[in-house]
Amino acid sequence: MSMNLLDVAFIVDDDPIHQFGMKVLLQRIKFSNEVLIYQNGQEAIDALTQRMEKGLKLPSIIFLDLNMPIKDGWGFLDDFVEIPHQNREKIVIYVVSSSINPSDQEKAKKYAVVSNYIVKPINKDQLTNVLDDLGLIDKV
Amino acid sequence: MTPVESVFQDASIPFTIINQEQSIIDYSTQWLNSFNLDSDIMGKNFFEAMPQLPEELKIDINYCLEGIKTRSDSKRIVQKNGDSIWYDWKVSLLSDQDGNDGPKILVILENITHKRLEEELLIKSQQVARIGGWEVDLVKNTLYWSKITKEIHEVPEDYLPDLAKGISFYKEGYSRDTISKLVKEGIEQGKKWDVELQIVTSKGNVVWVRAIGEPEMLNDKCVRIVGTFQDIDGRKRAQLLLENSRASLKGTFDNSSIGMALVAKNGKFIDVNSSLCESLGYTKENLLNLNFQDITHPDDLEIDLKLLNELVKGKRNSYQIEKRYFNNNRQLVYVILTVTAERNIDGEISHFISQIVDISTRIKAEKKLKGLLELTTNQNNSLMNFAHIVSHNLRSHAANLTMISDFVTDESLADDIRKDSLKLLTQASQGLNETISHLNEVVQVKLETDKKLKSIPLKPLVEKVLNDIRAVIDENNADIFIDIPDSIQVKGVLAYMESIVLNLVTNAIKYKDQSKNITKVAITATDNSETAVLQIEDNGLGIDLDKYGEKLFGMYKTFHGNEDARGIGLFITKNQIESMGGKIVVESQPTIGTIFKVTFLKQ
Repeated sequence: MSMNLLDVAFIVDDDPIHQFGMKVLLQRIKFSNEVLIYQNGQEAIDALTQRMEKGLKLPSIIFLDLNMPIKDGWGFLDDFVEIPHQNREKIVIYVVSSSINPSDQEKAKKYAVVSNYIVKPINKDQLTNVLDDLGLIDKV
Repeated sequence: MTPVESVFQDASIPFTIINQEQSIIDYSTQWLNSFNLDSDIMGKNFFEAMPQLPEELKIDINYCLEGIKTRSDSKRIVQKNGDSIWYDWKVSLLSDQDGNDGPKILVILENITHKRLEEELLIKSQQVARIGGWEVDLVKNTLYWSKITKEIHEVPEDYLPDLAKGISFYKEGYSRDTISKLVKEGIEQGKKWDVELQIVTSKGNVVWVRAIGEPEMLNDKCVRIVGTFQDIDGRKRAQLLLENSRASLKGTFDNSSIGMALVAKNGKFIDVNSSLCESLGYTKENLLNLNFQDITHPDDLEIDLKLLNELVKGKRNSYQIEKRYFNNNRQLVYVILTVTAERNIDGEISHFISQIVDISTRIKAEKKLKGLLELTTNQNNSLMNFAHIVSHNLRSHAANLTMISDFVTDESLADDIRKDSLKLLTQASQGLNETISHLNEVVQVKLETDKKLKSIPLKPLVEKVLNDIRAVIDENNADIFIDIPDSIQVKGVLAYMESIVLNLVTNAIKYKDQSKNITKVAITATDNSETAVLQIEDNGLGIDLDKYGEKLFGMYKTFHGNEDARGIGLFITKNQIESMGGKIVVESQPTIGTIFKVTFLKQ
């Protein structure tokens, strides 16, 4: 009961309400020990770089919004694929966006590092499915 | 025999006198000159001294020696070298007054070869030129026609014409009426005529003739009319054909819906048609006092002159360009110009023929179409923005509301979480409300495009806005520099103008570069002929246009993560500017600064 399934998860989103909601949901299903929130793509990339330099544990999963100031989700993905493969191979990225524009979903599919595209609002069941996808559901 | 000093010696007639023995006993100097003889012929035998005379002359002299009073004739002899000489002579028996010396013969002999040739030439040329003669004897009431005159009428040589028949050959109508009148006036008043009319020959051919008549008057009465009659059918038909083609060319030129001009080598208009006058708004008289250089748009003159020069040098036969003229109101007229060179018989250029198709209407339509396309593109962009707002912003609020209301109703959640959720519920609905009001603001700009634009002095407007935001400027220690000419007035909606300046200046201050000591904003304006450009330059953070250029003026786009950034300002600013017919462009470099240039229309 006390152990969470994952060690580190990133939420990259500038919407405080969404941030709050995600935190609540992730806590409920004991998703991760650590949930770190970044306001935009640049902050998230900077955090990843820092963690790699300091030898800290990298996140198992990144929930990535698309529309953000300074560096949006696409910008983040473009930078992310530049990270050496051995460092990022275990990181799973889920795009979580309110956009129902098919062109956004098509574009997201073109990034091999993106595992799935979730349309907001996200709920508990969807997050449980994510765990299932990661092969962790048996342990619940 | 003693030579006689003849009194006739110096007479200008070539003569000689011979006696019964055919010896020369006198001669005139003209005789010697005419036949290239010396004075030693005196006393010599006439036929021995001049061996190459026609046999007929000898016979005539012998006749006279035998007592016949006079003989005359003219004959040709062919000389040994092949030349032929015409001789004309008169032989007379001189009366033997004293009866001592026997009969003497006067021989007048002339070489008339030249005269004869001229006559022959005349006849020949009359035949070639088909000139016949005719003569009306009003006393005997007869009409004589020469051989050629008969030929022209296509009647046999033995045809006997009279005045009535002669007139009846003229073609019924104009020709016959004219000749009848002329003959009448000739007989009554002695008036001459020289006219070109048509006759119908006996074989029914219609032939153009030139008829000349000269009445001879005696005591105010016409006794005779002589004249010539010439077949001019070939020439006349060619001339009529030429006149026809000239007339039809002139007709084409005058009535063409295409502008046409004859242009001299120096560019002066020699002739212009009414279509061209209409296109250019000038009268014909005005245009004929101008050259094409005067009315050509300066930017199009160089290429026109270059091609014209190639035409002059024979490198090309014609050229076609699209160019612009100025009309009489100095407005542009768009045309397609085709120029061809006209050369004279020597191959030198005499003038140019210009054909000018007015395509102003087409260009205007194209411009209108372009404008419509731009408008449609803009509206399409707006629609995309609306779609974006709906698919993203409205949806994101809706998603938040759904998620948070789930929390509020979920009793399994901790109380503090549910309390926070309630607060966030309010926040989410406020967000939704705000987005809807932004949408309304954008729609409002679109709807008010038709608002009447007023003339607004730019400088006082900028000063007023700066005064309104004095607090913001002071708070940020911003250094504002203004250089706007007092004279600039732009066309706009006052509220929009204020909003635009407010947005751009507050942006410049809001996105200041903290690392720089002073925040500088320069507001300047330049006055162009039809527009004025307001420039707002800052030394702030700058924007990476390669990455964000396309999105800069989009809705809900923010770039600096600034707390106040709503991502709505530039979108509305752009819409407002465009609704007043203006445009906005941006230049920027990260860490250096940003320049916004806003173009406004002037009155």
